Amino acid sequence: MQFISTVKKALALSTGIYLSSLALSPVYAQSDIDVRKIVKESELASYYAGDDGRSMARMVIVDANGNSQIRQFIILRKDIEDGKDQELMVFFSRPADVRDTVFRVVKHTQTDDDRWLYLPGLDLVKRISAGDKRTSFVGSHFFYEDVSGRNTELDDYELVEELESSYRIKGTPKDPATVEFDHYFVNIDKATKIPLEVDFYDSKDRLYRKVSAVKVEEIEGIPTVVHSRVEDVLNGGATEMQFRFVDYNLGLPNDIFSERSLRTPPRDWLRITN
Amino acid sequence: MLPLTLTKASYRARTLIFFISSLSFSVNAQQATETDDLWNDDDWLEETPEVNSNAFRITGFGEILAGQRITESEFHSDTSAADIRLRLETKFDFNDVLFSVKSDSYYDHVLGDLRGDFRDLTASYSFNSFDLKAGRQILTWGTGDFLFLNDFFPKDWQSFFSGRDDEYLKAPSDSVKLSGYFSALNIDLVWVPEFDSDNYLTGDYYSFFNPQIGNIDAPKFLADAPNDDEIAVRIYKTLNSTELAAYFYDGFFKSPNAVDDDGELTFSRLRSVGFSARSPWQNGLVNIETSYLRSLDDSSGRNPLISNSQWRFLLGYERELFTRLTGSAQIYLERTLNYDNLIRFSAQPQFEPEENRTLTTVRLSWRNANEKLRFSLFTFYSPSDEDTYWRIQSSYRPNDRWLFTLGMNWFDGAAEDTFFGQLTDNKNAYLRLRLSF
Repeated sequence: MQFISTVKKALALSTGIYLSSLALSPVYAQSDIDVRKIVKESELASYYAGDDGRSMARMVIVDANGNSQIRQFIILRKDIEDGKDQELMVFFSRPADVRDTVFRVVKHTQTDDDRWLYLPGLDLVKRISAGDKRTSFVGSHFFYEDVSGRNTELDDYELVEELESSYRIKGTPKDPATVEFDHYFVNIDKATKIPLEVDFYDSKDRLYRKVSAVKVEEIEGIPTVVHSRVEDVLNGGATEMQFRFVDYNLGLPNDIFSERSLRTPPRDWLRITN
Repeated sequence: MLPLTLTKASYRARTLIFFISSLSFSVNAQQATETDDLWNDDDWLEETPEVNSNAFRITGFGEILAGQRITESEFHSDTSAADIRLRLETKFDFNDVLFSVKSDSYYDHVLGDLRGDFRDLTASYSFNSFDLKAGRQILTWGTGDFLFLNDFFPKDWQSFFSGRDDEYLKAPSDSVKLSGYFSALNIDLVWVPEFDSDNYLTGDYYSFFNPQIGNIDAPKFLADAPNDDEIAVRIYKTLNSTELAAYFYDGFFKSPNAVDDDGELTFSRLRSVGFSARSPWQNGLVNIETSYLRSLDDSSGRNPLISNSQWRFLLGYERELFTRLTGSAQIYLERTLNYDNLIRFSAQPQFEPEENRTLTTVRLSWRNANEKLRFSLFTFYSPSDEDTYWRIQSSYRPNDRWLFTLGMNWFDGAAEDTFFGQLTDNKNAYLRLRLSF
């Protein structure tokens, strides 16, 4: 049976989840499963949980030689519209040389995102031009696109296999020149719709990059990835990311997503206690 | 800047050796750190004092800067810069007032001085739609990249040309800043009770053109700073993705630009208005900015001892050229007004600036895949003055503690009396080692 589906954006980043979402374009499926519906649900589960969210995140970046680095930050997220535009702010606290740096993104699904970086040493609000999103996010193995979500209209999708508890779907870029991968496979959990594993293959059909949800917990009734991992399979090295103090539907006001919060972080909304 | 001379250091070499051995010890300790420790459950909140008022944490860095002249100078030794610096920073919350401290202590070998300075010593308080920040602080606004049309906060040109970190281009102001945020507009009001000048070029580090003798010179001087206040205002708003801002400044020219009745160099009065816009365009960012600087003490341009009024205009564009390689270009015009009067009344019309000083800049920034290695090239070229300045810098950040930076400042020009041309004998290369903690 033929399914013709297009899925809007897999814009991303719920307070905790940073795995690529998927979508499908013309797809020839093996069964009556509506792949588009799965992907749409996965996108919302991964990146649009609740109306807003807050989380503290820590990354440990380990290079091929075993040297480690750390990044710690608080993320505030607010959906302007489910499945569409989002406001994001990332407040860094570690390491010392990026402490107090603040990153602001207004995620657009129809145009390029707006991005700003506040550099406290210069009191400078630096606007960042649109760039390749498949480059490192703050020096980690996560890509900016893993964090903010890959536009699902950029890939074609195909249901490969229905497993007992997950769907295995293949993604292929419409314009291979714009990305470093040839294709990828993603496993989406049937119950939670969370993408559990994404395996990226290069043009020589080698598995070179693996993104996985290591631990999923139910928080405020919402299945949430609280530990994820990106592995550089060919060169070695990996980044693990854990989330703590995840909270949804805090009622974050619109006006904290602003230049004001770059220079003066909204302390009332960043105050996290046990 | 109020550098505090504490003492003449006499154990420079020994201090340096001690400092380097401390740094080496630290790098070994870093390598021994177990990854598991980084997941320690207990310190998530401790590391985040902005959200946990009970946490008191001091961070900062130690840094060594060594700079060498590439060209010989008849006025200076081969050492262009030699700093040993300790930065300490902390923040704490008391009754909803946030206190922030950033102190720099450094030994400047070129001046032979041990100096201490605060880059930040502020109390901040937020109420309703207002943020109030008072004390010594770094202030920046405007859209230019190393070009300032409406930003009349103090710059430290000595640091900028000597290889210190980019952040030292901005010198602190002792000021009060009130920011208001409203649905129609946002506003920043800055009051500087006592004028803060730039850290302008003097003969301490640099040789430059001295119009009084018509030649390159390295005079050590301190211009006579007015005891008066400054006011700076910015009104801004973002419409869709376009950032719009209007600016006002009332104070003084920031670098010495006038000679007073006693023949002393000083700063004349300045009032400025301006406007800027920045917006995404063609997969990049475009910015436009303009300002009108009214020289209040010489608005007709007839006084040859005081700068004339100016009109400044900037157009810039930035975009990613290839993955991880970003390029940007700027075109800048500085038009001297009442130019006929300037030339007519000048005692040395041959040394006066061009009526239209034009400047172009190009920046290329590259980083490798894991962002440990960075390269940056920034060039200024003035078609009107036929002079150029290249800032070349590469840095390597192997881990969260270490940062190694190698760079060069290259000046050249057809004439000795142009802005960059006068600095030709000050070309330098430098190395910086920074250990963050």
